[in-house]
Amino acid sequence: MDFQFDIILRYLPDLLQGVRMTLIAFFTALAIGLPIGMTLCVLRVGKSRGLGRAAAVYTTVFRTIPEVVLIFWMFYCLPPLVGGTVSGLWAGSLALGLISGAFLAEIFRGGVQSIPRGQWEAATALALPRVTIWRRIIVPQAARLAIPPFINHLTELMKGTTLLATIGVADLALKSYVLGAQTFRYFEFLTAIALLYFIIIFPVARFAEYVERRLAVATR
Amino acid sequence: MEFLTSLDFSPVWQYRWPLFWGLVETLWMAALAFAIAVPAGLGLALGRIYGGWLVNLPIMAFVDLMRFTPLLVQAVWIHFALPAVTGMNFAATQSAMIALSLHVTAYVCDVMRAGIIAIPKGQGEAARALGMKRRAVFFHVTMPQVWPLVLPPLGNVAVASFKLTTILGILAVDDLMKVTNRISTLTFRTFEFYTTAAVIYLLVGLLLTFAVHRVERRFGASRLERSAARADRASLAAARGAVAAGPRTVEPPPDR
Repeated sequence: MDFQFDIILRYLPDLLQGVRMTLIAFFTALAIGLPIGMTLCVLRVGKSRGLGRAAAVYTTVFRTIPEVVLIFWMFYCLPPLVGGTVSGLWAGSLALGLISGAFLAEIFRGGVQSIPRGQWEAATALALPRVTIWRRIIVPQAARLAIPPFINHLTELMKGTTLLATIGVADLALKSYVLGAQTFRYFEFLTAIALLYFIIIFPVARFAEYVERRLAVATR
Repeated sequence: MEFLTSLDFSPVWQYRWPLFWGLVETLWMAALAFAIAVPAGLGLALGRIYGGWLVNLPIMAFVDLMRFTPLLVQAVWIHFALPAVTGMNFAATQSAMIALSLHVTAYVCDVMRAGIIAIPKGQGEAARALGMKRRAVFFHVTMPQVWPLVLPPLGNVAVASFKLTTILGILAVDDLMKVTNRISTLTFRTFEFYTTAAVIYLLVGLLLTFAVHRVERRFGASRLERSAARADRASLAAARGAVAAGPRTVEPPPDR
């Protein structure tokens, strides 16, 4: 049994292209998920019961459906539905973004709902406009509680980008798998990317724990 | 519009049995992985809490490795890379099951650890002072209080393992996703089959979530009322309330 880890260096440009795809998918999904999450959060906390219910249905549906299923659906069913072509990268990122939006909405809502009613009432009594209440009073306080789960969600999203490999997006996971198959050096390539993902995700997750502890101390 | 009228769902009905068996395979894999993960995770959690650093460190490394790498990478690694080390080749289903069980075990370990730690130390100490054996303390004092606490997060893990099975389709496992994949390329009815699969996954997922909630309400809360952990939760909630009430009056944390 011989391991030739230098083979990874030889194919490094290829792998870096995979990293690029992974990062594009990650940030696209985040760019889709963040506004959806914020909007849903505002709708659910807001006064309109109908809109709140609609937002609740959205979160339930997209938190329940497995990522892979939605990715496949977006890839195969969206193009004929809209009558055009959708690339794998876009279909996958859209699916991840829609799901991410549902999870982010719950995270944000958890933060917002931990703020006592008195804060809302006091701000309203001072006749602050609603936008100001959100911006100056609710969000700064809610963010403290929402930041650790938010960072955790980012790690989940990063793991989720590997699922784009199932529809043939040449992200880091698929690249290394293909390279492994071409060179018969599965072990080297697969171990390398497993470690790479770990190296990316582990510090971020630990940072989230650190922030959580830090904030817990700060607010005790 | 033209496209929508051209849809034909009758092939879906025609292939209902393969789809059904795909779903059975999915549920079976999720259930088995969960059934393996609960005792394994509990064991690891105990090692984490009561073991020395020699036990502690490898468990910690295992859990972190499992939690912080994607399941897809793990599954592919076990199926394609591991044979280079062990010289043993697994069937796709075996590799998939190993990956899923290990992945879920790591999550269960974390849940169990949090649950056991949440029980106040005084409980065990009091029981020991009454002359109970360590084993008895664990089984009759600690664990009965841990179960209601860990039930909700365990339920989430159960639902998650159902969702995670879809990832295993990357290996040649005949779960619902893979079956859908195959049939749709066979019949060219991609839209119909993928939509059906999505609906099935959604319905089963909702059903599972609902069932988990029922179990939680039945067993989680009622026992909780009698457990000391409840007092802990109350104090936690009070602390949270205090946190939310006046964060700006609190001094910045001392730098260490």
